[in-house]
Formats: sequence, C-alpha cells, structure tokens
Amino acid sequence: MAARSITYEFAKGLIKNNPVFVQVLGMCPVLAVTTSVVNGVGMGMATSFVLVSAALIGSLIKPLVPSEVRIPVYAVVIATFVTIADLVLRAFFPPLSEALGPYVPLIVVNCVIMGRIEAFATRNGPGPAVSDALGMGAGFTAALMVLGGMREVLGSGAFFGIELFGEGFTPLLVMILPAGAFLTLGVLMAIFNALKEGSHTVLIRAESKAEA
Amino acid sequence: MRRMIIVLTLVTVLSGLVLAATFASLSPRIELNRERALQASLAALFSDVDEPQFEQLEIEEMDIYRGEDAEGRLIGYAVAVTASGYNGPISMLLGLTPDLQQIEGLQVVENRETPGLGARITEEQFREQFIGLDPMQSITTIRHVEPDPAANEVQAISGATISSEAVVDAINRRAEQAIDAIRDAEDR
Repeated sequence: MAARSITYEFAKGLIKNNPVFVQVLGMCPVLAVTTSVVNGVGMGMATSFVLVSAALIGSLIKPLVPSEVRIPVYAVVIATFVTIADLVLRAFFPPLSEALGPYVPLIVVNCVIMGRIEAFATRNGPGPAVSDALGMGAGFTAALMVLGGMREVLGSGAFFGIELFGEGFTPLLVMILPAGAFLTLGVLMAIFNALKEGSHTVLIRAESKAEA
Repeated sequence: MRRMIIVLTLVTVLSGLVLAATFASLSPRIELNRERALQASLAALFSDVDEPQFEQLEIEEMDIYRGEDAEGRLIGYAVAVTASGYNGPISMLLGLTPDLQQIEGLQVVENRETPGLGARITEEQFREQFIGLDPMQSITTIRHVEPDPAANEVQAISGATISSEAVVDAINRRAEQAIDAIRDAEDR
C-alpha cells in the first residue's frame, strides 16, 4: 500500500468512504438514536472520541501485541474509552446521556471502530491512524446529524429543539419511529450515490492529486 | 505464549486503573446530577409552594419523601413508583396530599417510551388527570370516552395504551402500600 498524505486519510472518511453511506457500518446507532439533531451529534461525537482514542492507542501498542490476542486487547481498549465517554456524558451532559440511553455503552460493539482499528490503525503509524479516525468520526457524525435533522424537522416539526412551524403543522410521527429511520436512510443513500456518481471524475482527479 | 498472557494482563490492569480514576473523579458529579433531577421533580410536584424542602422517610424498600414549606408546614408526600413501560422501566413520583386522601400530582422522572406516543405520559394533559383522584381506590384506564374523575378514571393516550396502563397499574400496585407505610412511619 502506497503511503498517502495525512489530508487524504482524513478526507476519505467524509465522502468517498463515508462509514454510514458508503461502508454502511454501525447501523444500530445510526437508525436508533437519530430522532433529533442533538442526539445524532451527541452520538457522533461520543463515537468519534472512542474511535480516535482507540486508533491512537491501537497503532502505538501494535508492535507489543501478539496477533493471537489482538482482538481481546483492542476490545478492552475500546471498552475502556467507551466507559470513559459514558461517565463524562453522565457527569456533564445528563439530558443527552438520558436521551442516548443504552446506545452509549453499545459503542463498544460499533463495527466502525473495530473495523478501522483492524483495517487501518494497526497497519499505519499513529499520525495516519489518528487522521483516518478523525475523518471517519467526522463522516459518521455528519451522517448522523443530517439523518437526525431530517427526522426531527419532519417528525417533530423542530430543529435543534426549536419549533419551526405553527400550530397548523401536524408532525409526521412515523419519521421519529424506527420506520422513519429506514425511510430517511434509504433516501439519503440514494441521493449520496447519485451525487457520487456525478462527481466521480472530480473525485478521481482529487485523489490522484493527493497521492502525488 | 507467555507474552500473550503478560500483554493481556497488562492491558486489562491499566484499563482498570484508568477507569477507576475516571470513575472516582466523576462520580460525585454524577451523583449530584441524579440528586438535582430528583429534587427538580419533587419541587415540580408541589409547584405552588415556594422553596419546598424534602426529607426521605425511613421506610424499607420504598423511597418516600416528606415535603415541607419554608415555614416547616407539611405540604404532602412523594412516593417513588416504577412502572414497566413499553421500552423499559418508567420511574415516577406520585404526590399525595398531607391527609393522604388525594393524589397531589404525578411526575415522570425517567422513561424510555416511544417519542411522540408513549413518551406523552410526560405531558401535562395526561398527568393532570391524576390530580384529586383517590389513591386508596383502584384507578381505571378508559379509552375514547370522557373520564369521570369521581369514578377514579383516567383516559389512556391514544396509540399508547400500554404506556398509559403501565403508569396506572404501577400506581394501583404501590399507592395503598405506600400510604400504610407513611401512616406507620408518622405514628412513631
């Protein structure tokens, strides 16, 4: 694998390899907690924190860890950061912690994290590992934010908790129920793929530039 | 083989230490948040009283709070009640008048009900139906028709019968027992 620039490792997580829309990883929190923008952003940030910390530690301890026990070792490292994130949320953001409920501890099994550690962080130095994790985290957070935004506007008639429409608006309740998550995700993926298709040539050009 | 054991042991011990330190430094804050949420719910039950003070009664297996106003006059009691809702436990506070003859109010402290449906048990429109009902009689949930407060009736939220009935069932199960316990405790 040819070494690529730090900026490339960051940028690829946003669109080209977006963990939600392209890799379709970590669907459980994506579908479950995106009933509002705040929940989506909160979940995205918590996941990004775990992703970046675990990627850094993972790439640093890689030479010391025998490959037979790497999965349990990384699982312990991830679980530690998840518990820290959970405690911090409970101490400083109690309403958000309440809203995300059991989905914070479940970040442990979010396959975006184990996936990036196995596929990237442990095969690269700490610099690219953190850069990749930041990009994937940002891509994940952005996806959850867009999903949460669409569902909140349509399902609750609000954005960031601020009422948008008057009394006359009847919220589309289905949008904040599980079915609404699938509907929104499907529509967003279709849009995403259409855009990607259209800008394919542009992306390839940008890529070859970054690789140069 | 030996290296595997050493690495895994080291990693788990280090993680344990980091977590212990984080927990020790954050737990006072977490405890404080929980206490604040409880105090806010207690105060909301007696919202017409300025600066109410609450003291937990020493009753086994039940969390019951005795409320007083700033001058030390008894304003009522609050009983912690947990219902099994649609998505998990619903924790509530049931307010009782000082004479224990009527329900003073209902507050939902924590719930995981479906937003827009079951979670509407937190809305005033549902909760205020309980005010003035007789806690010693069983409360019944009705649908479609207007509830009769004199007959201890409340109307279920449409589309959220399970959550509504869970709340009512939990109150029915706990209220009489709690009132007996309060009478016992206050007699002492």
